[in-house]
Amino acid sequence: MFESALTVMIFLPIVAGALILFCPAKGAARITGFFVSLIVLMIGVQLFIDFDGQGGMQFVYNTPWIPSLGINFGLGVDGISLLVLLTSAVLFPLVFCVLKEQSRAFYANLLLCQGAMLGAICATDLVVFYIFWEIMLVPIFFTIGIYGGPRRLAATMKITLYTIAGSLLMLVGIIYVANCYHQQFGVWTFDMARLSALSLSGGFAGWAFLMFMIAFAIKIPIFPFHTWLPEAYTEAPPATSFVLSAIMAKIGVYGMIRFVLPFFALEFISWATFFLVLGIIGMIYCGIAAIGQKDIKRMLAFCSASHMGIIAIGICAMNVQSLTGSLFQIAAHATSTGVLFLFVGLMEERLQTRNIDALGGLAYRAPIFATFFAVAMLSCVGLPGTSGFIGEFLIILGTVKYSMFLGLLTGFTLIVGVCYLLWMFQRVFYEKESETSARFTDLTVGEVFSFLPVMIIIFAMGIFPQFFISKIEPAVQQQIAQLYAPAQQQVVANEISVTDK
Amino acid sequence: MHDLVSFLPLVITCTGALLLMLYAVCPKAEQEKASLMSMGFFAVAFFAQLLVVCTVSRPLFPETFNGMLGVSGFTNAACLIVYACGFFTTLSSHTYFRENHFATVEFYSLLLFSAVGMVLLSMARELITAFIALEIMSLAIYVLVGFNRASSRSTEAIFKYLILGAFSGAFFCMGTAMIYGAAGSTRFDSIAEWLAFNPATTPLMLGGAFFLLITIFFKISAFPFHAWVLDVYDGSSNPITGFMATALKTAVFAMIANFLALSGNLHDSWITGLFWIAVFTMFGGNLIAIGQDNVKRMIAASGIVHSGYLLIALVAINSEYFSGAVIAYYLAAYSVATLGMFAALSWLGGEGEKRVTFDDFKGLAKRQPLAAATIAVFLLSMAGIPPTAGFMGKFYIITSAISAGQIALGVLGIISSIISMWYYLRLIVSMYFHDAEEDFIVDGSSLASISTVALAVAVFAIGLFPLVL
Repeated sequence: MFESALTVMIFLPIVAGALILFCPAKGAARITGFFVSLIVLMIGVQLFIDFDGQGGMQFVYNTPWIPSLGINFGLGVDGISLLVLLTSAVLFPLVFCVLKEQSRAFYANLLLCQGAMLGAICATDLVVFYIFWEIMLVPIFFTIGIYGGPRRLAATMKITLYTIAGSLLMLVGIIYVANCYHQQFGVWTFDMARLSALSLSGGFAGWAFLMFMIAFAIKIPIFPFHTWLPEAYTEAPPATSFVLSAIMAKIGVYGMIRFVLPFFALEFISWATFFLVLGIIGMIYCGIAAIGQKDIKRMLAFCSASHMGIIAIGICAMNVQSLTGSLFQIAAHATSTGVLFLFVGLMEERLQTRNIDALGGLAYRAPIFATFFAVAMLSCVGLPGTSGFIGEFLIILGTVKYSMFLGLLTGFTLIVGVCYLLWMFQRVFYEKESETSARFTDLTVGEVFSFLPVMIIIFAMGIFPQFFISKIEPAVQQQIAQLYAPAQQQVVANEISVTDK
Repeated sequence: MHDLVSFLPLVITCTGALLLMLYAVCPKAEQEKASLMSMGFFAVAFFAQLLVVCTVSRPLFPETFNGMLGVSGFTNAACLIVYACGFFTTLSSHTYFRENHFATVEFYSLLLFSAVGMVLLSMARELITAFIALEIMSLAIYVLVGFNRASSRSTEAIFKYLILGAFSGAFFCMGTAMIYGAAGSTRFDSIAEWLAFNPATTPLMLGGAFFLLITIFFKISAFPFHAWVLDVYDGSSNPITGFMATALKTAVFAMIANFLALSGNLHDSWITGLFWIAVFTMFGGNLIAIGQDNVKRMIAASGIVHSGYLLIALVAINSEYFSGAVIAYYLAAYSVATLGMFAALSWLGGEGEKRVTFDDFKGLAKRQPLAAATIAVFLLSMAGIPPTAGFMGKFYIITSAISAGQIALGVLGIISSIISMWYYLRLIVSMYFHDAEEDFIVDGSSLASISTVALAVAVFAIGLFPLVL
């Protein structure tokens, strides 16, 4: 694989997005976007195949950017970021294939968003990460604001202010961490690997920890930071909802594993149960909220939030199984819940409604659509044989290891998800055919071929999980070992002090 | 010889100002030609300054002017910013005065004169020189603010600014006298020497520094001397507002940074005061900006907030390693965005500054996509969204605050920039998310539009390649 693969992967979409804005031809934007995302997909798959699963960073690219503060433009992939990277590379072409044509600025925004997300995933330097992390939001702001639903203005402001507040506070945290390193070792650096030599706790470090956590908790979102989500997901155009739910939320999870765990190991261990309980509350709360929704998209928004809760739980349980499960579930959730947003987008395009009561009997009209929808939905609720099962199973296993009670609670909470999704499926796809549903047409050949790969991935991940897990497990083991190392040191230190007495 | 070379840009600007004054007497003088000439002078001065930065290795000239003036990397950067601001201001003025007909040739001459004052102020190493420079600058600016004699708002603006400015000038004199009484010298280095062996809390020194800081806070519109900003910025013509907001602030900050950085002792005794002034300036500015419906007044209020960020950098100054790079970088980043904003306003405003409220900008993106995009870039830079210059500036300031142990100030700065998101985004929302109500017809290509695009590019260039540091 050529050396600067990651750089190409990040900047190709960004440059293409900028060029699209100036391209005069009407249909060219979408096609260009599609081909660019296909190239990114191919690079992503190739990286996945070449990745040897040894635990360290691979495909590293490092070049000095601001030497006086030790900031490097550093990129790399390891087991933690591999599946997130793969997800955002593989699923992205979908947004260019399905749904009706939008203006070229829309596709330019999507491409910019992809580039920024890939940048945030691959960055090994905190400042570079932060820059991409913030840029990610700009296209979301514009796509929701310009192409969103009737209540888009409030939704845009809410998501933007909420996430910017979180990430600006994280900036203080980032600078604080680098400053601690500077004080201890006398050099400025924002390189992640070097900074993880620190293990901060106590004093302002506790605040810095919370700043990082809140920034990621808002992006994921974890209860009680989820209040922007129903508005934003519902009002956003389907492609943006898909990007938000399938990929962007995952970068929050990824950031938590990547940055919070190594820098604030002690703090994280002492707060883990708190956040785990927040995750469970979020799952139950959003699950119950989803049951009552009339709007399918709004229901999916809550469903997505509810299922992000379990991913967060997996991190907070802090063992190899649960963390592997979380990383696996990142990909699984994207292929299931994320894709459901696109299906709902298609439905809305054909019927101009998302109201569950107005629908019914779609399965008789559109058997292929119903099948695809069912597969994604069943993966979402974690049916064995689909990708969702493996992830959720590993997470619950890990959580039971952490605490029997919390593990069982997590397991039972999943039943709520089954309830509302199956009930919605019954009302929309079966029962009596409504007048509106009569207008529905099944997927076209193009759409079938667009979604088919996703269906294959869902089953492939469910039946051959080891193929994916083997690549990420070494890195997870390292991460967990690193997490407990400072705590063990402290235990040893305490023991000595006890014997001294 | 070296001294003369480093003095060259100033000579060019001064000559330009005098020549334009002479040209004004000529019966066939046209203001459009004058604007092109002053553009030329600013450009030449800028490149001469660049030449000085690149070639002169030992640029201090303590002997030549008996220590009244001095040059360092920091003052060079400040001068570059001032010349660039002057250049882009003349570009916007050129466009602005096609529609608004109250400019005469003297306008450009005064612009050059005020730039002379600014450059001298940033080079000043002595309080009396600083006072003279401050007055050269201020007198020219007073006239420029009130240039539109037919407009009552402009008259109101000059009246407010002149009265308050006269007071602050008097305070500066008073402060200088008291400091001289205490330290026996008006030279920065002698004062610093005196301070090294004497406490900075001597009544005379304390009082002198107090009066001096009042003037400075007035000029940079820091709390509690910020109340004039809105009316004065609103009353003066767009290009001049841009010039005042950027070049003037740069010069005054350069002077005070030079002064405080040398006198570490004085800085230490004022640090708590500066801390609170920075905090109140940021939050006071934000509160004012949130309530504005007029874009010009919003930018004016946000200028107060940016002064607050710069004050954070002043608090964090470490006299041992002062390079001024953080302040210079932030000033450059802020100037580029603000000048760009006012260039765009001068271009879109048309006759009598028609388009000034948030509602006037509704749907601009649909009619004038390029203008809307550049304005959005400037706003995002002011808000500090990466990868713009504004973000890097804020990043440096917060880093310097935290590494100086002022974590609380860093956090407050960030909270203030979260609040400021609201009013920057509001204008973007107006431009992009609403339907157009008018056609936004502006006459063809103009110099202001070119400068808008150039500045938008500069926002990214400065942000991605922060060479200063």
